Amino acid sequence: MIVILQNHYAEFWEGLKVTFWLSGIVWAFGLVVGVVLGLLAARWTILFGMPVRIFAVLLAAVPALVFMFWFHYPFQMSLNIVVDPFITAASSLSVINVVLVANHTLQVVGNFPRQYITAGRLCGLSDARIVWSIGMPIALRQLLPGMLQIQIVMLQSTLFASLISVDEIFRVAQRINSQIYKPVEIYSLLAVFFILICVPLNLLASFLKSRFSRDLSRS
Amino acid sequence: MLTASGLSKSFGGKLVFQDVSLKLEAGTITTLLGPSGSGKTTLLNVLAMTDVASSGEIDIDGRLFAVANDGWSAKAPRPELTKVDQRLGLWPNMSLRQNIVMPLQARGIKDLSLVEELVAELKMSTFVDRYPNQVSVGQQQICAFVRHVVLKPKYLLLDEITSALDVEYVSRILGRLKVLSGTGVAILLTTHLIGFARQSADRVLFLDGGRIVEEGPSEVIDAPKSRRFGSFLSMVMEAR
Repeated sequence: MIVILQNHYAEFWEGLKVTFWLSGIVWAFGLVVGVVLGLLAARWTILFGMPVRIFAVLLAAVPALVFMFWFHYPFQMSLNIVVDPFITAASSLSVINVVLVANHTLQVVGNFPRQYITAGRLCGLSDARIVWSIGMPIALRQLLPGMLQIQIVMLQSTLFASLISVDEIFRVAQRINSQIYKPVEIYSLLAVFFILICVPLNLLASFLKSRFSRDLSRS
Repeated sequence: MLTASGLSKSFGGKLVFQDVSLKLEAGTITTLLGPSGSGKTTLLNVLAMTDVASSGEIDIDGRLFAVANDGWSAKAPRPELTKVDQRLGLWPNMSLRQNIVMPLQARGIKDLSLVEELVAELKMSTFVDRYPNQVSVGQQQICAFVRHVVLKPKYLLLDEITSALDVEYVSRILGRLKVLSGTGVAILLTTHLIGFARQSADRVLFLDGGRIVEEGPSEVIDAPKSRRFGSFLSMVMEAR
């Protein structure tokens, strides 16, 4: 494994950069647009809330790969355009991430325990103070674990981009394997890469979930 | 004085209480008794103006609050009128001490002597720096009580705040309630502890079927006039 890594260091590094770049775009779009959309959906339940819920249900039913392929072939064919596969992958995965994050935000904000807000009002706190000192910290703690899980799934979903010819880490690994045929070593290396990234994120998500969700349920 | 007149409340066509009128006078403790589901909590929510009545009005020291467009006609005076909710609403992201101090700091109050006095009086020093999830429900109830008391309200509504407290703590809370009423605070509380009601109340109200069936001085607990109140009291006594 070490020898393969030494011999193909540059290619792996290029693949990793594409994976990180793709994940970065998908995460940034999903987190920023998704949270804003989720807040809008919680505020205007018909105008934004219903579409978010419907899209979330539909996207949960359609595999990410099918969604990406749909963006790559039929969508571009029907508009008679050709889009760079990287942009196609980034767009389709970003849409999925936006909807998942928006739906998660909607659930958390929609189920926010009203008694905390009421207690703030009864204590004479201003609305700004209630949002800043009570609403935001509590909502963030409820949002974070689920949000991290979604981002881990999105990172893993970037592998699908290899199927529409994006040179990310999985496609690079496939190419190297076709040259030297060492599948056990190459795909183990790929697994190690994902373990190094996803395990700490998963542990962080579990920690946040046990640390904060339990607190909220008892008080 | 807080005067409620003709308050009614219904949810989706189901009547919770109807035509309730009552007065909360400065320096008096009023106890609201009634079976579970009789509308005590909803009535307290309406009186605290965290919930809106279907009809009726509330007069607080000459300021009239009427029902208008599914809301109250004016903003409730806070924290002059406040309520300790049955669910307490302690903020889980803060320690108990922060729960108590933060509203004071938000109002620019730097003198925390009353906080320290109550922490000592109610034996809170062993748990006041813990988070809500790290203490018992009874300790949470004490903290919620203190959080609202230090705001020096004129009207203090308490919904079942002694339900998880032992006899010793009930006695301490009772002592503080007497001090508060002695300083002119008007208190309305609900409880299922008849002994606590008897000792604390200047006036007693019995709510049943959405109406105040009986009211009078605390002596009515020992000599109820209405058959319904009498049967309620005897059932509570038997259950103990």
